[in-house]
Amino acid sequence: MSDAAQTKTLQRGSSKNQQAGGKAPLRVAVPSVLSVSDLYKSYHKGRLDVPVLKGIDIQIHEAEFTTIIGQSGSGKSTLLHLLGTLDAPDKGEIWFQERRIDNLPPRQKERIRNRDFGMIFQFYHLLPELTTLENVLIPRMVQDNFFAYMRNKKKYTERAKELLDIVGLSHRINHRPSEMSGGEMQRTAIARALISKPSILLADEPTGNLDEESGGEVMNTLMSLQQTENLTIVMVTHDNAIADKADRVIRLVDGKVTHC
Amino acid sequence: MYKLLLSWRYLKTRFIALASIVSVTLGVATLIVVNSVMSGFVGEMKDRLHGILSDVEIASPGLGEINWPDLHVKEIERIVGDDLLAVTYVVRVPALMNFEFRGRQWTQQIMLMGVDEKTFGKVTDFNPYLLNSKKRDAINFELEETGYDARLGECGWEYRRKKIANQQKIEDLIGPSTADSLVAQASGQSDVTSSEDSSLTNDPNQRAIAFEPLPVVAPVHQATVTDPYPQMNPAIPTSQLSAFDPHADLRDHVRPEEMFNPGRDQHTGIVLGIAISSRQFMNPKGDREELFMVRPGDDIQITLPTSGPTPSPITENCTIVDFYSSNMHEYDSTFAFMSLEKLQEIRRMVDPVTGSSTVSSIQVKLKEGADLNAVRDKLIAFFPPNQYPYVIQTWQDTQRPLLSAVNMEVTILNILLFLIIAVAGFGILATFFMIVVEKTKDIGILKALGAPSHGVMSIFLSYGVSLGTVGTGVGIVLGLLFVYFINDIASVIQWVTGREIFDPTIYYFSQIPTVVSPLMVFLVAIGAIAIAVLASVLPALRAARLHPVEALRYE
Repeated sequence: MSDAAQTKTLQRGSSKNQQAGGKAPLRVAVPSVLSVSDLYKSYHKGRLDVPVLKGIDIQIHEAEFTTIIGQSGSGKSTLLHLLGTLDAPDKGEIWFQERRIDNLPPRQKERIRNRDFGMIFQFYHLLPELTTLENVLIPRMVQDNFFAYMRNKKKYTERAKELLDIVGLSHRINHRPSEMSGGEMQRTAIARALISKPSILLADEPTGNLDEESGGEVMNTLMSLQQTENLTIVMVTHDNAIADKADRVIRLVDGKVTHC
Repeated sequence: MYKLLLSWRYLKTRFIALASIVSVTLGVATLIVVNSVMSGFVGEMKDRLHGILSDVEIASPGLGEINWPDLHVKEIERIVGDDLLAVTYVVRVPALMNFEFRGRQWTQQIMLMGVDEKTFGKVTDFNPYLLNSKKRDAINFELEETGYDARLGECGWEYRRKKIANQQKIEDLIGPSTADSLVAQASGQSDVTSSEDSSLTNDPNQRAIAFEPLPVVAPVHQATVTDPYPQMNPAIPTSQLSAFDPHADLRDHVRPEEMFNPGRDQHTGIVLGIAISSRQFMNPKGDREELFMVRPGDDIQITLPTSGPTPSPITENCTIVDFYSSNMHEYDSTFAFMSLEKLQEIRRMVDPVTGSSTVSSIQVKLKEGADLNAVRDKLIAFFPPNQYPYVIQTWQDTQRPLLSAVNMEVTILNILLFLIIAVAGFGILATFFMIVVEKTKDIGILKALGAPSHGVMSIFLSYGVSLGTVGTGVGIVLGLLFVYFINDIASVIQWVTGREIFDPTIYYFSQIPTVVSPLMVFLVAIGAIAIAVLASVLPALRAARLHPVEALRYE
């Protein structure tokens, strides 16, 4: 608790790029891509206000694998959604590449989600009507208008196949999500998240719905990608074993950061 | 791009949505069929209603007459101006028609029209309706040798000659020369075989005569009173049949070719509506048969009122020279046509001093595209009703009750059928809401991947447009096919149900008339697609407003 309090104070006092604290030497070297300060979020259930996040301050560094760990209900998914601009905080600021993103107009948020963030979800969230390849290409389809997409289709398809090769699914290109295993679906989701060459990958319990073996495969894929592509990954999980594989662990308890 | 791809995939995988637009398809098909049949019907009916009516008519009401019609026409020509194409006079008078069929006298009420042979065909579409092809180019009231429609059976001069010859035979049979032998046959020779060698006796009509012969010599009233003028009433030998001929003396001075010979001469020619003296009935086999009680070549009597302040009945012998069939039962069972001059003469409508004749109405034909109502109004302005008690109206005015009833039917049918499509619209609305609910997660995913709200909305809108278009397209194809094969379909239904759907004795249509108006098809299509789109707007808006986090959390 005292550690968290200390981190908080330090971060408030420091500039965004300046780091302090226990693991300071590592962090000072790399600039922060995504940072959050004094973030509050509560949900309304009927007349009750349920506070979920109660003042969060986090710095995410480039090319670093960060996990946010916490029990269910600790607010970790909410935090990830806020980071991914899927939701707006009640109070506080989110900065991404030196730019405040929590108060942007919807169109710019959509643009950031589409180009700068890659997202992976616990339940894969693939579109059941589309094939693996089409699912991977969806962010590109959203990005371009019809003609631009048709012009770049070849390039995009090559990239998608490349990514599917990396995640080990090149033999599944024309399969529907319903014809694949959970691990395969999640690896498809990873490929989809990477198609737009995002600067940061946000993963919401990517292994939460998988057995140990598939989960391990997904984790290995993520870790190797992080190594080879120099990815910045923020992953939410409740599994200590998985969290331990990350470069940095942020522990959330009851809407507050307890360990950083 | 993703919008097209996804709405296409939804189309391919959500067949329930296709089911929801079956109602659109049916509605569109029904609208097209009903509109085509109705406009075919109305068009056909208008043609037929218009058929023997002129564009504009200036008529005197009832049996009233228009004096000095020539002067009227001059004024009409001046008023109507360039729009005028032709003018004709008509005398219209109710009359009684009397004819003999199967030994009985039949009397029927008709509306006799005196028409000008030269101009009537120019003012109305009467000519093509005539059943004798020779009269279609120019009307005349002469009996023809040939050219009669085959459905009439035997008719024309040949029929008339045969009939007269037959009558002559009968007269000869009962005449004095053969009467003796007949009497002898009937009383003396009782064996049947001898009567068989006479071909006439096989005919039941004539056999009846043979059994009941007229007296050989008609009883003559014997004057018991002394004749005061014996020199003026010379005693005529009663044994001579010529004694009964009051014109015997006259005959001696008239050459036979000048005498009226029914086998060679005709009475005043008259053209009857085909339904006046014909009946259609079903024979025991179930086939439709047409019975003509009289036919061209037969003589009839027409009794009609003379003109003037004290009308009195006058009877005229007429010969049927042709029938006409306008396929409007109302006309075909009412109107008979005769030469205008002849009718004026019969009714004494010609002023003996001035030689000018009166008419019942003046009928005007206008150029194609001329505004009938404007011409009518101009004429009414020139002949104000308080000075000239004329009825001036267009053919549409004459048939207004019928036309407006049909128009109302069309309007109400259209409203009702469009309601069907509107109901289909609610079906689409419900189905689309279900699809949006089902696709909530997908909507969340798309939004999480940066798809804008309007993009998500347009997925569902284009889904609605596609469904509406597909439904409408199929509906148009179905409707047009139905219209194209409507008569075959009607006969199949008739075969299945055993009921005649389209009774030609009532409608006089052998085929169901249809007219497909491209504008109507276009409007129906636009309306149906618009309803499909409107029905998908609400679900699409709902999809667009979904919060991505809540949508993703949705299970």
